[in-house]
Amino acid sequence: MGLRIRLSRQTLAVLDALLARPGQWQHGYSLSQSIGIPSGTLYPILMRLEKLHWLETRWEEVKTPGRPPRHLYRLSGNARAWAREEIRAAQERRFWKPTVVGQKA
Amino acid sequence: MEADGSGAEGMSVSSRANSLTARFARWVLGYAVRYWPEENRAWGLALAAEIDETGSVFETVRWSLGGIMLFTRSVLSSAWKWMKLPAGGSLPGGADGPEGSSLLPRRSRVFTAVVLAAAALLLALPEGREAIRTVWASWHLYQQSDSDARTLEQLADRAEKKKDASTLAFVALSTRDPKRAEALTERAVALDPQLVWVYGSTNHRPDYDPPQKDWLARLQAADPDNAVPYLLEAYALDPSSIHTLYQHGVPKDADFEAVESDSTWMALMERAYGAPRYDSYFQSHYQLTRAVWNREKNLSPAIVLSGLWSHAIPSLLNLRMFADVKIHEAQKARASGDLKRAEGLLDEVDTFGIRMADGSTTDIEKLIAWVLSRNANKEMIVLYSSSGKTEDERRVTARLDQIEERFKEMRLAHNPATSAGAQTFRRTAILVQGFGTLTVVAGFVALAAILLLELFPRTIRSAKPIWRRAASLLADYAPAVVLIACSAFLASFLPFQRVIAEYRASNYVLANEGRLMDAMWGLFEIPQYVTGVNAAVSTWTFVTEALSALLLFVLVRGFYRARRTVAKPA
Repeated sequence: MGLRIRLSRQTLAVLDALLARPGQWQHGYSLSQSIGIPSGTLYPILMRLEKLHWLETRWEEVKTPGRPPRHLYRLSGNARAWAREEIRAAQERRFWKPTVVGQKA
Repeated sequence: MEADGSGAEGMSVSSRANSLTARFARWVLGYAVRYWPEENRAWGLALAAEIDETGSVFETVRWSLGGIMLFTRSVLSSAWKWMKLPAGGSLPGGADGPEGSSLLPRRSRVFTAVVLAAAALLLALPEGREAIRTVWASWHLYQQSDSDARTLEQLADRAEKKKDASTLAFVALSTRDPKRAEALTERAVALDPQLVWVYGSTNHRPDYDPPQKDWLARLQAADPDNAVPYLLEAYALDPSSIHTLYQHGVPKDADFEAVESDSTWMALMERAYGAPRYDSYFQSHYQLTRAVWNREKNLSPAIVLSGLWSHAIPSLLNLRMFADVKIHEAQKARASGDLKRAEGLLDEVDTFGIRMADGSTTDIEKLIAWVLSRNANKEMIVLYSSSGKTEDERRVTARLDQIEERFKEMRLAHNPATSAGAQTFRRTAILVQGFGTLTVVAGFVALAAILLLELFPRTIRSAKPIWRRAASLLADYAPAVVLIACSAFLASFLPFQRVIAEYRASNYVLANEGRLMDAMWGLFEIPQYVTGVNAAVSTWTFVTEALSALLLFVLVRGFYRARRTVAKPA
């Protein structure tokens, strides 16, 4: 990847959660719950990843009338290898260790 | 592909729906989304859409707070991006179309804001505020404004609380309200009897408002050797004979008799002429003003100067009239051969003139004092010449020459047309007023251009290129002109500021008062010309010149167009 960003522990946690089910679309709230970071921290990370084209997004089709469509996220194909590399490097540096999905960080 | 996490959470919605806190949190987030910056509103909507999935009231509130944080961040980021665009430019997705529309100003909003803030900061410095106050006062012809009156009242209230007699006396001497001056004078003297001189110094110019009798009695009791309290009492009598004495030109015997018949006035003037001292309390007033101005540095020069300029001095007409009565008596004594009495009467006038000149601290009093001495000495020359006292005649002639010389010097020194100091201040004042006016004009132009571009961007973009270019150029360069003009304004004001500082610091009245007057008159000249009796003339001159320039422009343009048409026939 040409562009690089400084990866915080929270960003690594988001990447890790997205890599847990690489091809599957995920909701913001479930991501927040799985890694235990609040919406005010999660969304700026998602916004930054999307700006760098490492995150694919789409709107879910409305299932329940009267409720707004939800936004879905997954890592782009190119970003997955890069994310794995970054996570591995962070673990080697003992900068970050993965959280178990479904547990609070 | 199926998204996860959308099943169980949805079931809890109805149980939480009635919670007031959750409803409020959702309403706040919905409200924020409505005002979310356009460029990333989708993220606001995405975050808000998840709120229905939260598992508890606590989670709902937490999610909503995160949304508010993101909203704040987006607004600030968007505002910063907006600030980096030039005036009239809008962010992508904005209501007024994308940035970079043709013919926008080149400077960013941040640059313009920084330049204008720097100018405002310069003017907000103590030196800047003093310059503004002084120049503003000059445009009000150093007359106190309503704001000055309020400042004086606040000063009086503070002084009353602190029982500060000198400040109360200062306000009494400076206020334009005679009743307020009266009350404050009483209060100041009650607190500090040393301030009794204030009784004789308030509310005399420009409208004569004589001190009360009991005030004058107290002043005379406190300062019995001073001629001034008697002169003020004589002034207060205001006999009608004063007004008729010179109405036929040179007064006749009957006119003098009418004056002499007013025994009260004559007795008071006699006491004044015989008093060993002359002090019109201007020095005391000056020192009081200096002390208060040093404490209250934000006082407008209009307050300070109008207070000093309205200081009461005895009636100069009374002084001259009484001297004429004495000289007339001396002439009669000389005619009847009583030379000793004639000499004594003239000597009284001359001695009083010298005493008054020595004791006076204002130029006008000194001038009148020398006029009295000069008249007495002229008559003395006639007396000695007619009685053959050649030696005395020569002595008095030499003295008269000295008086004439000093008289001439003083008139020259205080004539703005000949005084070098006054000339320098007049020249510098042109710069101060010029740069001050430029700052104001450029400020208004910058404001108008920026507001036009910001409030009516579509109108500007659809206007003719010349108007768009004009608005853009003005928005680009007028703020810089404001900064340069206000720096130049402050730099050119420095000599005036030095004079004011010297005036505040000095204990000696004459030299500093002269320099301050030169400085203030210099500043006053342009406002007086523009707003005074010449206002209509200058306005019409400006209109005529502007119309002439416009006519010339139209004619020249027509001429060149005609030439071009002839040169390139169809």
